Amino acid sequence: MAVCVAVIGKDNSPLYIGGTGNDTSTDNELSRQWLVHTALDALEERLASTNNTNLNSSANASRTELRDLYLGLLYSTDTHKIYGYVTNTRIKLVLVTSSTSPSGSNIRDAEVRTALRRLHALYADAICNPFHLPGDQITSTKFDKQVKSLIMNNV
Amino acid sequence: MRSSVSYILSHAPGESVMSHPDYAQHAQHHACLLVLVKGIGGVLKNFNKLWERIQRVNNIKVTDSSGQVRDIWVRYVRDYPVENNDWGDFQTHRRLLGLITLSKFANQIELNEVCRVHESLKVKYSNTLYDSRAFMFGPGSNLKKPEQEPETYSFYEDDKTKEKTSLSDRISLPSEAADSLSSCDSIGQSSSSTYSVQEENFTTPSNFKTHALFYGENDPVPDLEQHVAELINSLFWVVESKRLERSREKLEKVSLLLAPFEKRDFVGLDMESRNNKKRCMGRVTKNLADLTLQAGLVPEALSLYNSAGEILKSVNDWLWLGAAKEGHCVTSAIIQYPHLRNSTPLQRNASLQESSPNKTKPLSLYQPSSEPYRKFKLNFSPLKTSKTSSPINAPNELTPSSSESIETSSRQSETDNADTESLASSTDIEYQSQKSYLSPDLPSIPRQPTSIHTMYLLSGEEIAEKYRKATIHYSKYQNAGIIETEACFKAARIAVEQNNTLRASSFLQNVIFINLTLSEQEKIQRFDTLAELYKEIGFLRKAAFCQRLAATRQVSANNPNPDWPRCYHLMLHSFPGHKISLDPNYAVQHQVGWPALQIQLLHELVVAARRMGHPALATRHMTFLLQTMWPHLSRQEHRDLAIQLQALSAQCEGGPVPLVLETGEVIPPANLTHVPTCLYFNPRPLPPARTPHLIKSKSNQGPFIFTPIHFGSLERKTKKDEGKMEYLWVEDDICEVQMKLTNPLPFELKVSNMRLLTSGVVFESIPETIILPPDSPTTVNLHGTPKEVGELLILGYSTHTLGVKSNCRLKNMPMPHKFPSAFSIEVIPSLPKISIETTLTLSGNVNLSNPEISASVTNISLYNGESTECTIKITNTSNVAIEYLELLIQSNMDNQLQRKVFQWSNEEIQSQLPIKPNDVALIPITLYGEADFLDLGGENIFPNSLTSNYPSRVGSPVPNAQTSLPTQSSNQQNSLSSGLMVNRTSGSFRSSNSQTTSWSAPLSIMPPSRGRQIETQIILRYSGGAGKDMHCRQSTLQMNLELLPSVSITHWDVLPAEIPSQLYLVLDITNLTNEEMDFEYAPSKHILIEGKESCRVPVPLDRCPFTSTAVKIEDADSMEPKSISTGTSINSLEVMCSEHLTKNVDLKWHLLQSNINGRASVKGITLSQSMMDIVRMSPLNWEVSLNKQYIKPQEEYNCTAGECLFLGVAVSNHLKRPLHKLCLSVQFYQDYNNGVRNYKLDNRVATAGNNKVVLTTLSESAKAYHECTVVFLTPGEYKIDIQCSTTEPILDEVSVAKDLPSVQSCAEEISHTWRFIPPVAISVTD
Repeated sequence: MAVCVAVIGKDNSPLYIGGTGNDTSTDNELSRQWLVHTALDALEERLASTNNTNLNSSANASRTELRDLYLGLLYSTDTHKIYGYVTNTRIKLVLVTSSTSPSGSNIRDAEVRTALRRLHALYADAICNPFHLPGDQITSTKFDKQVKSLIMNNV
Repeated sequence: MRSSVSYILSHAPGESVMSHPDYAQHAQHHACLLVLVKGIGGVLKNFNKLWERIQRVNNIKVTDSSGQVRDIWVRYVRDYPVENNDWGDFQTHRRLLGLITLSKFANQIELNEVCRVHESLKVKYSNTLYDSRAFMFGPGSNLKKPEQEPETYSFYEDDKTKEKTSLSDRISLPSEAADSLSSCDSIGQSSSSTYSVQEENFTTPSNFKTHALFYGENDPVPDLEQHVAELINSLFWVVESKRLERSREKLEKVSLLLAPFEKRDFVGLDMESRNNKKRCMGRVTKNLADLTLQAGLVPEALSLYNSAGEILKSVNDWLWLGAAKEGHCVTSAIIQYPHLRNSTPLQRNASLQESSPNKTKPLSLYQPSSEPYRKFKLNFSPLKTSKTSSPINAPNELTPSSSESIETSSRQSETDNADTESLASSTDIEYQSQKSYLSPDLPSIPRQPTSIHTMYLLSGEEIAEKYRKATIHYSKYQNAGIIETEACFKAARIAVEQNNTLRASSFLQNVIFINLTLSEQEKIQRFDTLAELYKEIGFLRKAAFCQRLAATRQVSANNPNPDWPRCYHLMLHSFPGHKISLDPNYAVQHQVGWPALQIQLLHELVVAARRMGHPALATRHMTFLLQTMWPHLSRQEHRDLAIQLQALSAQCEGGPVPLVLETGEVIPPANLTHVPTCLYFNPRPLPPARTPHLIKSKSNQGPFIFTPIHFGSLERKTKKDEGKMEYLWVEDDICEVQMKLTNPLPFELKVSNMRLLTSGVVFESIPETIILPPDSPTTVNLHGTPKEVGELLILGYSTHTLGVKSNCRLKNMPMPHKFPSAFSIEVIPSLPKISIETTLTLSGNVNLSNPEISASVTNISLYNGESTECTIKITNTSNVAIEYLELLIQSNMDNQLQRKVFQWSNEEIQSQLPIKPNDVALIPITLYGEADFLDLGGENIFPNSLTSNYPSRVGSPVPNAQTSLPTQSSNQQNSLSSGLMVNRTSGSFRSSNSQTTSWSAPLSIMPPSRGRQIETQIILRYSGGAGKDMHCRQSTLQMNLELLPSVSITHWDVLPAEIPSQLYLVLDITNLTNEEMDFEYAPSKHILIEGKESCRVPVPLDRCPFTSTAVKIEDADSMEPKSISTGTSINSLEVMCSEHLTKNVDLKWHLLQSNINGRASVKGITLSQSMMDIVRMSPLNWEVSLNKQYIKPQEEYNCTAGECLFLGVAVSNHLKRPLHKLCLSVQFYQDYNNGVRNYKLDNRVATAGNNKVVLTTLSESAKAYHECTVVFLTPGEYKIDIQCSTTEPILDEVSVAKDLPSVQSCAEEISHTWRFIPPVAISVTD
């Protein structure tokens, strides 16, 4: 079961952090933020390394070859697993699953991948709002609702 | 990574579980000899220095029995848990092999205690300890050094040899037992030997049997390194012997080596099974590999590990398999990354130099009692030779880091790395060349030729993979948790070395999963190490996360002794990971990071700082939190934080100074710029009264005040300095900066001690305290006084609010309000200040003027013609003398009028200068109600009825159109000219006062019947002091002058007087006031006029002489340019006459009720031609006689009809030149007194003689006489019009007087006619 979903801008500033939980106390919110924040290190490193390999390989390989947006498991703690996804505009999508709950412990990689793809689509929809300034926090209630349902339904 | 079979083989925690993880372990430590360095007894001052020096001796080279140079590495620790020692069989590098104590003693008792502690330490580690050294520092230099006698030494050698031989039979014992036994057994001999060398003051206790070295406390200990190297050398030989021993063991007979917790596992197992045999063999091989690695034979170790791994894998001995794999990895890493070992010691070379020059004689209290190596030396003959050489060789063979080669090493410090590489490679080669030296000695152990060690050398990838496997193997045993943890750290460090951060992070991540029962302190240490490694691989966020966890652990409820300072420092060091900068300005300008986390961290930091007992830091961090996180906080949080800050600052006030922690970190000041928020900040120019002006204003470039076009200059591109102010401030004068502040907090905020922050010239700021209500912008003015001349920079302001002092600099202001980084204002030398008082003499109207207010208003009412005195009192209120004073008047009057209204003496002003401080100067100004008393034009309030009644006009005949200008027309002409004048003066008025266009309409001479308002500004420009040549101040005094109508002259006329030289000016005077007026129109001639009444007065005057006045008029002309415009000579004559009248008419009035005196004048009076003839002295003097009788004016002559009358007319020329072509004519007519004159008297009058005579020339002063006879035929009233006309242009009389030669007879028309006035009237009776 997904616990939290975060959208992080290209300058690593949080654009949206949403999640479900039994309680919505600030502690919960904070711990989520800690989780996602610490995932950024691994995420960036992953990005940098893939970029390097891309650069190296780009000599022979065609540039049209797209990098896989899904980065897979970033790291895991005793209680959570953190998955990453980076769009081509360097928007980072992070999904946190709980490894303690039965549904989250044996979640499949493909499920996370599709969930993150859908989140990407939702994000794109939210960004399409002409009144939204890219780089601002996403305050759309519709987005929030959709993300919540994504968390609940999918995983 | 973690195997799912974890815990399958795990057991309940055994009794001897290694419970103290050593997080500092590196991979290369597998190859090191472990030596404990401990300070005992009193605190040694230079312990740390000695510790560093010892640490530097971490690598020595020893030539072994076969002549091969071994690279021996040492790891020094300060503390080592005995439990870990128990794992020495599992991994030999965990054995503590050596002991060095550094101790201080002051007396015998302390010495005894020190010795006891040393011995007890030896006992503590007795299982593994091979050798020890005790460095003892006695009290000062008074410690006598025992003589070093060579024979003593040799004696020892002999003695030793003996004892060794006696012990030689024990060699066959297992090494551990031998160690322990030897230390026990050697008590006897060592004690005896110690006594003899112990110096006289102090003696070591009998049971002390260590190689002790004595120094004075402050001795430089030059041979420290040498002794340490010796110790290591001895340790090496023990290890080497062990290795050889192990290598010679028969594989079939080897005992099972056990990890501490395994002891119970093998109870009841079949020890003789093939499986078990193999297990034993594998473990022994692994143990041998460890020893080989420690003994410096790295390549051999590689192959041994490999074979051990293979053997152990076949028997599923996971734990030891893991150890073998780890050993394999470590060995590979040591070969591949040699600078892992070298980097640390080499960096410290520089500091070593200071100890080396002190070449004191080496002191050696040589106590070679129980060194185990000696026993081995005796037993192993091949080693013996090398041993004897080793004391000499060892120092020479020290690595560049040791004392012997300091000079060279420091010189080559730049190339150290290169050296290291070459060193490593050379050792490699060395090993390869001498690969086979061991093989004959070790037939029983399966060995691979070292030439193929590269076969087993793992690549970087393989190291990681193998390490991963090793940790998985470890993870199967719960009791090996610490081994696993350490392995993970070691693997991570190798990964860091490989620059593979993701791999490193995965190893580190694994650490989290290892479930260990650790003390709180060790958990913290674990997080700390994790954080450090994360930091190393650039995972700052992770590092920060771990540091924060460590910090919270420090003070968690589980922790029995919370350590707030540690907590604080950990938190502080996690700042970079959270992207918080300690500098609030940076943090404000670069809003990076995750605010929610930053706020949380800062909150915790504040708590930690407070609990740590450092309120200043707590205040500082709270201020920082409030300042940097302001935009991310809600209003409620603002309020709460502000209240918290207030509470914190109550303990320790926050100030704008950097705080320095004990660790040397500097916490920069945090300034609250949000509380209160500054919306507007602008320096103000000085108030107008104190504004400095340039004394000489710059010449205007052109007629345009503003032009957007800048021709041919680049100036438009260079933007003006934003903060540069155009106005000036004055030294020693209070200046002002206006701010608008808002209190964003929901409660009342007191801001005290607000000052300006300046740089440049000295500035004295006046503190201000304000109380700001919530959420309403308040304007605050900050004041200060510049104390020097020059450029003043205003950088910002300082506040003291919520208990925090802040320096709010403009450049650091939060974004929404853009301020320049500083305001720059030029300060000029101080100028004087004045206060002005005006006093009116008559009405006593005192007006105290405040110098701050630019226009203090004085209101004065004056009747037209009244004059009064006004005194301006100037008091110098400054400390600077006034040396320059100028008075200017600006008004809505034209200059001439103004000059008449305001009269003052500039000389009088200048004579009072300089005005010293607090002195007073008086400037008298005379005010005069200048007005035109002649009431002209359409504004007549009084009916014009009086006009036609003048006898002269009524009675005068109209011979030609020019002469007979009616009064009305003269009035019109006059009004025309006055109108012209208005226009012209208005023009000049505007050009001279172009800047003051606010005046509605220029006032000129206006009809006196209405009151007039005159707005006047008296401008005082004054200066003094150093800047008096450049700048001055300007005070303006507003004076509103009301001119009230007093009298007006509505009509006037002239009448000839009884005497030809005199005339009467008849004036209709109207009293325009409401009071009764005593009007004096001639000396001693008074008339009383009621209010609003008018009356007619005759003013007797002398007639206007022409020659003399002509000159005057010339002057007047040049003075008054307005008469030029009327240009014709008629007018010049008229002006001359008018001037004459104005000058001679002295009209005075006196208001009886209010006792006001005034004057009136007939200035500007206009005269018609006929009036002028009366006013002027006639150029021809008439003498008319009837029957030889002279006719007097106004006299009526009677005769009877038919009577013959002789009319004699004599004309004399009074001009100073001859007159030409005069035509003297006599005409009779009858005046019907109704405007009709009858000139046709053909049948009524008969004349004999010419009635018209032409005189060609009448020279000056000549007299012409003409006579004729007349007879009146019928009775009636007759009149005789006697006139003399000339065709000469006599009108140009004035100019003719100037240029006589140009006399030219112009046209035949009559240019002028003189009449005999009044005409002779004759009444003829029957």
